[in-house]
Amino acid sequence: MKLLIVEDQLKTGQYLRQGLGEAGFNADLVADGSTGQQLAVSGEYALLILDVMLPGRDGWQILQAVRGAGLDTPVLFLTARDAVEDRVHGLELGADDYLVKPFAFSELLARVRSLLRRGSSAAQETSLQLADLRLDLIRRRVERGGKRIDLTAKEFALLEMLLRRQGEVLPKSLIASQVWDMNFDSDTNVIEVAIRRLRIKIDDEFPDKLIHTVRGMGYVLEERKL
Amino acid sequence: MSRRWSLSNRLALLFAACTAIVSLFAGVLFSRGSEAHFIELDQQLLEAKLAGVRRALQDGPNPQARLADELSRQPDLALRIKDRDGVSWHDSSIRLPIQVPERPGLSTLNDTDNDYRVLNAPLDPNRADSPQLTLLLDITHHQHFLQRMQRLIWLTVGLSALATALLGAWAARRGLRPLRRMGAIASSVSARSLNARLPEEHMPAELAELAHSINDMLGRLDDAFQRLSAFSADIAHELRTPLSNLLTHTQVTLTRERSLDDYREALHSNLEELQWMAQLVNDMLYLAKADHGLLAVQREPLELALETDLLLEFFAPLAEDAEVKLSREGNGRIEGDRSMLRRALSNLLDNALRFSPGGGEVRIRIVDGPQTVRIDVENSGREIPAALLPRLFDRFYRADPARQEGSNEHAGLGLAITRSIIRAHGGDIRCESADGWTRFVVELPKAGQP
Repeated sequence: MKLLIVEDQLKTGQYLRQGLGEAGFNADLVADGSTGQQLAVSGEYALLILDVMLPGRDGWQILQAVRGAGLDTPVLFLTARDAVEDRVHGLELGADDYLVKPFAFSELLARVRSLLRRGSSAAQETSLQLADLRLDLIRRRVERGGKRIDLTAKEFALLEMLLRRQGEVLPKSLIASQVWDMNFDSDTNVIEVAIRRLRIKIDDEFPDKLIHTVRGMGYVLEERKL
Repeated sequence: MSRRWSLSNRLALLFAACTAIVSLFAGVLFSRGSEAHFIELDQQLLEAKLAGVRRALQDGPNPQARLADELSRQPDLALRIKDRDGVSWHDSSIRLPIQVPERPGLSTLNDTDNDYRVLNAPLDPNRADSPQLTLLLDITHHQHFLQRMQRLIWLTVGLSALATALLGAWAARRGLRPLRRMGAIASSVSARSLNARLPEEHMPAELAELAHSINDMLGRLDDAFQRLSAFSADIAHELRTPLSNLLTHTQVTLTRERSLDDYREALHSNLEELQWMAQLVNDMLYLAKADHGLLAVQREPLELALETDLLLEFFAPLAEDAEVKLSREGNGRIEGDRSMLRRALSNLLDNALRFSPGGGEVRIRIVDGPQTVRIDVENSGREIPAALLPRLFDRFYRADPARQEGSNEHAGLGLAITRSIIRAHGGDIRCESADGWTRFVVELPKAGQP
């Protein structure tokens, strides 16, 4: 799966490419808008990450060219200006998501994964599973090692999200947005507390822990063999 | 053009115009009055003479002598007698070659040199074919007097206008002296000396009000300027600590070879500082946008009970952990920006939870008023001293002055952001603290109102 990064700030671009590469994505990086547009309309990319301010052609123009060529490649905008007009303009032109600098890489990665997943219509699952943890979506029951665990509605939603995106580091802001529909920067530690309470129910009694904290980035649900 | 005229000149000119109008009016009135008086006198005189002439001509012997006698007593009086056919019987004014108006009654006649009052009357009012008597009274000296008086009036008008213009200019200049003093003080105000104030107590009443307004404005400017200066200083200070941590930590880490774990630890520590700084910058940008009125409120109808309950659900784990009871009562509907108001209320809830002791309580009460919806967010716990209440919404204000900067410590922008959001909705927020409760009161205009 190939991604295209069009970003004129060299350091930013290189870090993005490295980060995405290590997360398993093959990303091409170009620094000017004109080359970026040529590559973008070629149709061989699964996702475009565009900076708004670019030499040559700006991010909006590239987006227009891409949509004009009949491509519905997901587009994630990076902008240094958090102007509402930018947001509205981008969404009108058909951008799929955008991030305001400074942003956390974990946030970018999570959004990239969301956008890529959106296209592929996942089969209707009836249950989610990791190791001996099983979540029954129909009966809304959770079991681990055959033992039933009682969760509140929000804990269930949180665990469902972790299970659906197992192996991905989920930043706190994404969890707040997906589980509680709270879409704002907040320095509250609600998510930490919620994860801790979920851990008590899911992990405490078991030697193999499934919920892990990735310091400074977020939380991940995965099996870690010792 | 007229805009460039000084106030003193305008006032002087207006004074002069007023005086001119008043004296002109008085003069005209006086002149008319004297003229009417003269006409009345002349009429009385002429009517008396007419009676004398009629008596001389109608009764008794020797009318010629009696007529001459009658006329001789009034040397400026002339008499003409004509019959119905216009034949002149008698004319004591042959040297006056003037044409006399024929119509009966009193009239005034202007000759080249002299003026006359003329009275036409029949000799015998009872006879239709009576001869006509014409009495001519020389009133030249009256007219001269009137003309002299008119000249005097014009002179008075002119002189008094001039005098009031000059006096008025002087008086206006003198009267407007406080205004010039105000100007001098105002011109001394600059960004560096916003503390200059106009002396209100020495000002005349009209200017005192203006001076008061200007002083108020200066006060607000001064306050805003102080806040802005303090704000910039605060930003520098807030960023300096994490920056210095980053620099020191990175340099120390790099001074010698270390284990992988040490490097990882260093990077994690740096990441925390950086995230804190990124959050700070984002919050600052948000506030800067709010200051410039750029927070675009995307209004939609909101059911506040529903919104609040969602937030309470969000905060439930935190509250349970802290053993604080959360509750909500009441409902209200407004039009507002869902995401912004959630952020505002979440800051208030976060704050309330932070300052509630274990076993305490956080209550939200929504009161649906006629004009506004009021949202109280109150928590039990230590009261905030009244003196600190207005400062709570200041940027970087923290209730605890001995706070530490660090990833877990919030930057003290939450309440400032909350207030910006509430104000962007046309509402306001205040804080009350008494009897073991601290209450944030949010008032938002209702749906359909700007």
